[in-house]
Amino acid sequence: MASQAAVIEIIYRALRSLNEELEEDKRVALAPDTRLFGPDASLDSLSLVSVIVDVETAVADELGRSVSLTDDTAMTQEVSPFSNVTTLADYIVKQLAQG
Amino acid sequence: MAKYAGRNVIVTGSSRGVGDLLTRHFLDEGATVIGVARGPAGCEHERYRHHQADIADPAEVQKLFALLRTTVKTIDIVVNNAAVLTSQYAMIMPAGAAQAMVNLNLLAPFLVAREAAKLMRKSKSGRIINISSMAVSLEPEGDSVYAACKAGLTTLSNVLAKEFASFNVTCNTLGITAIETDMLKQLPRDKIDAVVARLPIPRYATADDILNVIDFFASERSGYVTAQTIYLGGVH
Repeated sequence: MASQAAVIEIIYRALRSLNEELEEDKRVALAPDTRLFGPDASLDSLSLVSVIVDVETAVADELGRSVSLTDDTAMTQEVSPFSNVTTLADYIVKQLAQG
Repeated sequence: MAKYAGRNVIVTGSSRGVGDLLTRHFLDEGATVIGVARGPAGCEHERYRHHQADIADPAEVQKLFALLRTTVKTIDIVVNNAAVLTSQYAMIMPAGAAQAMVNLNLLAPFLVAREAAKLMRKSKSGRIINISSMAVSLEPEGDSVYAACKAGLTTLSNVLAKEFASFNVTCNTLGITAIETDMLKQLPRDKIDAVVARLPIPRYATADDILNVIDFFASERSGYVTAQTIYLGGVH
């Protein structure tokens, strides 16, 4: 089973990749409570798409499993998986554990 | 130097007709071609990689691209060519045949473009070319679903062009007229001859007519050309 630490590292890598394309003052903090979606989010919608694509691809390539972060299951969670880095990691680990 | 040396090109529906023509053209011009078809390969070449897949199935498309991410790693050009045509009056068109056309003629190009764009985004360049048809303009009886799918393909292409522009991926559409292919053989020859006779340029398309526009859209110089549809033969 994938550890939360491994998944967080995948998310951080996606954020690092995004930061390479952003101006210095717009870069996103690599922290567990970094908000990914919502009014206080650090990312605009296109940046979030970019992170989702990178995370889905890395999970598939490195963990050998595909997860969809934008299907109905993800969108109907009581707490949005995209609230912050930790909630996203928790959601992915849960999805991977469910098989 | 060969026009596409060092480039990786995906051609869907590569084993027959226009797909086979495009595959051989890209190979002749130095590309590595990843051909995708439900059936076996139509050609053998040291730079041809054939994948048997049903690209209307999202899982098969994802599996294909997972493999490409670890093998060829980059995709420079995609030609969404695979298509199916069932020509039948609407009142007797089987729902299954209509669904199959929507799946392969509209959903599949979306799935392939979507996955290809994820790869192209990394290299910050790419060309996506969708093959459409004169049926969009001529709206022939019997081709309601086929023509609607091809019309939808232009809209799909134009929206994707906007979404992918930030990473220099262009998305264009080529509307071809009648050319000698297996698909054309399914239709009554006299009817096709009559349609062709009414085109502004009243003749069948040649291979070079098609390749000329493909080369234009695929060219590195065409980075400022996106969300465009070019019809052959004066159709519009």
